[in-house]
Amino acid sequence: MVVLAVAALAAGVLYGILGSESLIVDEIVSHRDLVLYLLMFCVGISIGLHRGILRKLREYNLRIFLIPLGVVAGSLAGGAVCSFLTPYSMGETMAMASGLGWYSLAGVTVSNMAGAQAGSVAFLSNLMREIFSFFWIGWIARHLNYASCIAIAGATSEDTTLPMIMRYCNEETVVLAVINGVVCSSLVPILISFCFQAFG
Amino acid sequence: MDVIAVMCIGVLVGNKLFCEKYKKVNEILQLICTLVLIFSMGAVLGRRADFIAEITSLGWTSFLLFLIPTGCSVLLVYVLTKRFLKGKEEH
Repeated sequence: MVVLAVAALAAGVLYGILGSESLIVDEIVSHRDLVLYLLMFCVGISIGLHRGILRKLREYNLRIFLIPLGVVAGSLAGGAVCSFLTPYSMGETMAMASGLGWYSLAGVTVSNMAGAQAGSVAFLSNLMREIFSFFWIGWIARHLNYASCIAIAGATSEDTTLPMIMRYCNEETVVLAVINGVVCSSLVPILISFCFQAFG
Repeated sequence: MDVIAVMCIGVLVGNKLFCEKYKKVNEILQLICTLVLIFSMGAVLGRRADFIAEITSLGWTSFLLFLIPTGCSVLLVYVLTKRFLKGKEEH
């Protein structure tokens, strides 16, 4: 799967860089939201086939929020550490880390607050989080635990990295990943502004 | 939220209507969708005007800002789930 994912990513980047034009490919790329909907529908079917999963999730209660809490707190702490290793202020590095993998939003928002260069770093670092997630989820599932697979994916655990989580973890983890993605995605815009203003 | 709504419809279909013998077809469809999504992401990135220049000039700083926050997240979630979700979420 990892080899296929790398090949698909490389082919996509090459297609974009070369500026190739194919009507079918361009249509698919511009309507990728529909592909995501189809994927989520199929993922839903897989979850639905596992009867009893909702009962299992109810057993978590408030502990269901432990994963997004760990994702956010860990990212912010890591962002704070980075301020000592990079030329950026603590507010800027924490704002960059607050993207939680949502590179498009983090890039634009940080760029508006801290300038184009900081915005580019926010974009790239969050993009790396998404790309590396694809390749590390399998390893983390084998050597740590399934929740840690959700942690590396951050806010992307509800969409782009969900198929990898689905592939290497179980259906219960997939539902937890979606919940984590929703919570993290809701927090990203708030965290970026808050960190920049509070620690900048 | 629309993504979740679509998934919920899928859960209902899977639970009430979907025939178990098509499970494999569903898995293959998921794989195809995943690869198409990854390809699309690459194509969108490749079209970004300064993509290569950005990677070469800001790559190291960006890598640090990816690695440390992500590593801390994974570590913290691992410790929290080991401590508080023991026996539920572990494989």
